[in-house]
Amino acid sequence: MNARSLRFQLVAWYAGLLTGCFALIGLATYVVLQTSLVGALKENQLRRARQICQLVLEEASRDGEARVGEQIEARYAPGLNDRFVRVTRSDGSVLYRSGRPKDQAFEPAELPAAVWPARSETARQVALGAGRRMLMTGRDVKTPGGARYLVEAGAPMDEVQARLRQWLLFLVAGLPVVALAAIGGGSFLVKRALSPVDKIAASAERISSQNLGERLPVAQTGDELERLSIALNHMVDRLDQAFQYSRRFVADASHELRTPLTVLRGELESFVQEPQLAPEWRERLGSALEEVERLASIVEGLFAISRLDAGEAQAEWVRFDLAQLAASTADQMYLLAEDKRIELTCAASKGVWINGDRARLKQVVVNLLDNAIKYTPEGGAVMVTVSAIDSKAVLEVADNGVGIPPESLPRIFDRFFRVDKARSRELGGAGLGLSIVKSICAAHHGNVGATSAPGDGSRFRVELPLAAQPMNNQKQHDHEH
Amino acid sequence: MRLLLIEDEKKVADFVARGLRAERFAVDVAGDGPGALQMLAACQYDLVILDLMLPGLSGSEVLNRIRRERNEVPVLILTARDAMAEKVAHFEAGADDYLTKPFAFAELLVRVKALLRRGPVNRSSLLRVGDLELDRLTQQVKRAGKRIELTAKEYALLEYLVANAGRVFSRTMIIEHVWDQSFEGLTNIVDVYVRHLRAKVDDPFPTKLIHTVRGVGYSVSDSPDT
Repeated sequence: MNARSLRFQLVAWYAGLLTGCFALIGLATYVVLQTSLVGALKENQLRRARQICQLVLEEASRDGEARVGEQIEARYAPGLNDRFVRVTRSDGSVLYRSGRPKDQAFEPAELPAAVWPARSETARQVALGAGRRMLMTGRDVKTPGGARYLVEAGAPMDEVQARLRQWLLFLVAGLPVVALAAIGGGSFLVKRALSPVDKIAASAERISSQNLGERLPVAQTGDELERLSIALNHMVDRLDQAFQYSRRFVADASHELRTPLTVLRGELESFVQEPQLAPEWRERLGSALEEVERLASIVEGLFAISRLDAGEAQAEWVRFDLAQLAASTADQMYLLAEDKRIELTCAASKGVWINGDRARLKQVVVNLLDNAIKYTPEGGAVMVTVSAIDSKAVLEVADNGVGIPPESLPRIFDRFFRVDKARSRELGGAGLGLSIVKSICAAHHGNVGATSAPGDGSRFRVELPLAAQPMNNQKQHDHEH
Repeated sequence: MRLLLIEDEKKVADFVARGLRAERFAVDVAGDGPGALQMLAACQYDLVILDLMLPGLSGSEVLNRIRRERNEVPVLILTARDAMAEKVAHFEAGADDYLTKPFAFAELLVRVKALLRRGPVNRSSLLRVGDLELDRLTQQVKRAGKRIELTAKEYALLEYLVANAGRVFSRTMIIEHVWDQSFEGLTNIVDVYVRHLRAKVDDPFPTKLIHTVRGVGYSVSDSPDT
């Protein structure tokens, strides 16, 4: 799953928040539970300490210290209850210490000595080893005779610890379950919410300048996504209008330019063939005519591109062998290459069948070859290859000429773009050859790209869909119109 | 031969009419559809040159009316729009030829003559210009009695120029006749072939037959360069 997709992020946030809440609530309950359990134990032990203090006071007024231990054993039997009781004199000597508990939970003699508290009542926790602890409460008592004792009552915290551990265990075990449930539920919800977005994206992907008439399906759900698709459709509407406007403009402009060009050309031609014309005038008029010719070819090229981009019906749509077309075209242009002592080779394995307009695709080959020959210095090499790769017909024209600078590479298919303006003008191009190639390829549902290393030549690659089956020409034909 | 030129752009009509008259055609000019239909009803024409973009009645409509009245006069269409679909539609409607603006006058003339069954004038199998001979059957070329070996394309180019000797052909016309439309805009290829042709046909001989008319194109004739 793509970590930057909305789906992933939403699920991650959802699961994270839910798991975090669960952990926070668990932690809070743990703290509350701990406080209340420990508090209850402490309260219990302090009560016991107070009772024993009372007992010590009673005994002191009767028999002194002698029967304190005996009385404690008789009344509270701490050993039998697994409790700890200790009475310490003010000099630190022990008056009474309860016996070893019945469950052997601790060794009374090994517990740390009493610490005289600052206040009359205290509670502290004493480590018993192996992670176990004892809660020890103490209370200060003073007999009327002036003797001071510290009465301590304690109990192991085993039970409290066990219950806390149990709760913790539940939390730890519950966390991944909650997290998994959050991820599962979250991705289900997000998928449900986002699946129309995928549909909208797929439909939007299909709309290009070739089929701006198409619109996105709008689900009448009344939600934000309906609004999104309506908004997108409005955007496509505006794009469509802009495209139509620019196409109409180019078509109208080409048309309006043609009439004056016709007059200009006709008048200049009749002039230039005037027998009495001085040679100098003939030269000048000829030069003017050459510019008219160039203007006319630019207008032609622009018009051709605007028609192709408008997706105007192809003149013909037939099944033919691209390899054979490339080979015969290269053959026709052989002399152009030879004229510059360029080695023109064609490696076209026969039988690369495609559907399309033969004349226009031939123009693709012609323009690419012409381009390659123009920009390859004398003695260079130009190579045409045609092959079928992964259900695609691939035509490549490679040369070892001057190459294309990297910064120009993305723009070479733009109208009127020239890598070297002065040089191209001298070579007589209108700057439209590659744009026409691109438009023809697009009209055939293919594409064209170029790679180049400056000084090491360039390579143009045309990819077109292979014809599906030999016999369904007619179907393809109908489909395309 | 009487021609009717239906063209609303006065300047285009002027130079076309002038050029055709110089070729000794009688030319009438109509500036709009209704006027053209009146003239067609009044007079018998050998050829109609029809511009498609006419005010009022469109060129297509004029063509339809001509054909509806069972008038079989050849019609050559001039247009500033050259969408393929349109071209096909007009051939179906009975147009005989189709020329896109801006055209070279020489091309218009060649097409007019072809429609009038007059050109190329020389239909014989042997073409001759000066001491150059082309045999269309054997595709052999001789100059001053000596065989000249030409490639197929060189022969096609030479035959096209020789068959219309004296006429200047634009590179576009040469490309369309000798190659095909895919090579349009690639005027370079004509120059290269003409250079090769010259090396074989003209260079060994004192009289040059292949002429360059700057800005227009090439021609073959035995009159010296002007």
